[in-house]
Amino acid sequence: MCRIAGAAGVAGFLIIAFTPLPNALDRWLTIPARIEPADAIVVLAAGLNSDEILSNSSMRRALRGITLYKLGLAPLLALSGSPSQRSGRPEVEIRAQLARDVGVPPAALVLVGTPRTTREEAVEFGRLLKLRGVRRILLVTHGDHMPRALPLFQRAGFEVLPAPVFDTISDAAPEDRLSTTRSLVMELAARLYYRAAGYF
Amino acid sequence: MQGVFVLVLVGLTSIAGAVFVMRRLAWPATALATGALAALELLGAGLVCFLVNLGLGVAVILLVRALSPSPVSVYVLNDVALLALSLVQGLVFQGWRQATRDPRHAISRSRSSSSSSG
Repeated sequence: MCRIAGAAGVAGFLIIAFTPLPNALDRWLTIPARIEPADAIVVLAAGLNSDEILSNSSMRRALRGITLYKLGLAPLLALSGSPSQRSGRPEVEIRAQLARDVGVPPAALVLVGTPRTTREEAVEFGRLLKLRGVRRILLVTHGDHMPRALPLFQRAGFEVLPAPVFDTISDAAPEDRLSTTRSLVMELAARLYYRAAGYF
Repeated sequence: MQGVFVLVLVGLTSIAGAVFVMRRLAWPATALATGALAALELLGAGLVCFLVNLGLGVAVILLVRALSPSPVSVYVLNDVALLALSLVQGLVFQGWRQATRDPRHAISRSRSSSSSSG
């Protein structure tokens, strides 16, 4: 049994690291962008680094949301971010500061700092944004996360326009393909869990 | 390009290494298949340990999340250290298993079992 597992491991590693299969799977699973005017731009959380600065993913999502706001696609920019594990400082505060620094008026910001999961974000934004009459949202998150996030926000009562963010990866570097596969596996496992739990 | 370079590099050092050990150290070529299969067994044991650790880790985290309101993310398992440690764990167990098959250990096992039964 160990011999078979080892052979499968080596074969899987070679296929993942040295063929374009992970990139093709990533593209196949991604929902294409649909950038149109909406009532609000919703930017999902992605966490802080251990030194309490925005993670690369969090920064990319925040910048995408701010860019869409600056293009005039929605009057509201809704930012999410969970508290730091170390100091409790919310990611959302740092993102809001960034948005204000580049000229987004404070009145246009809707901030949510308590959700810890995508489902909690959908529920919280559903409650807050509906009070402001928001029906149509531009949803900003990573491309591999979008297929899980989109149905949750639809279930929360929104018409969702996907505005995915992508990390720049090289199609030819084995390490990047391994990283892409890791993200895909994690996201597929999360989707299975959400489906089993009846979240969508 | 990067992937091809890595494959070619490892391929060339493998060929050079094989030529060296066969000519200078007189390792028989027929033992290569046996060695490769032993390596697959070691790797497989590591992967089995990784799957067990991963499955158990997910189960424990889901249980903690169900029983307590404190946030525990499954993403704590997204650490390459888990894979590395599992591989070491697998190597040790597989090494132990092979050592147990060693005739010297078979003798000591038979001695200990006879002394415990007597």
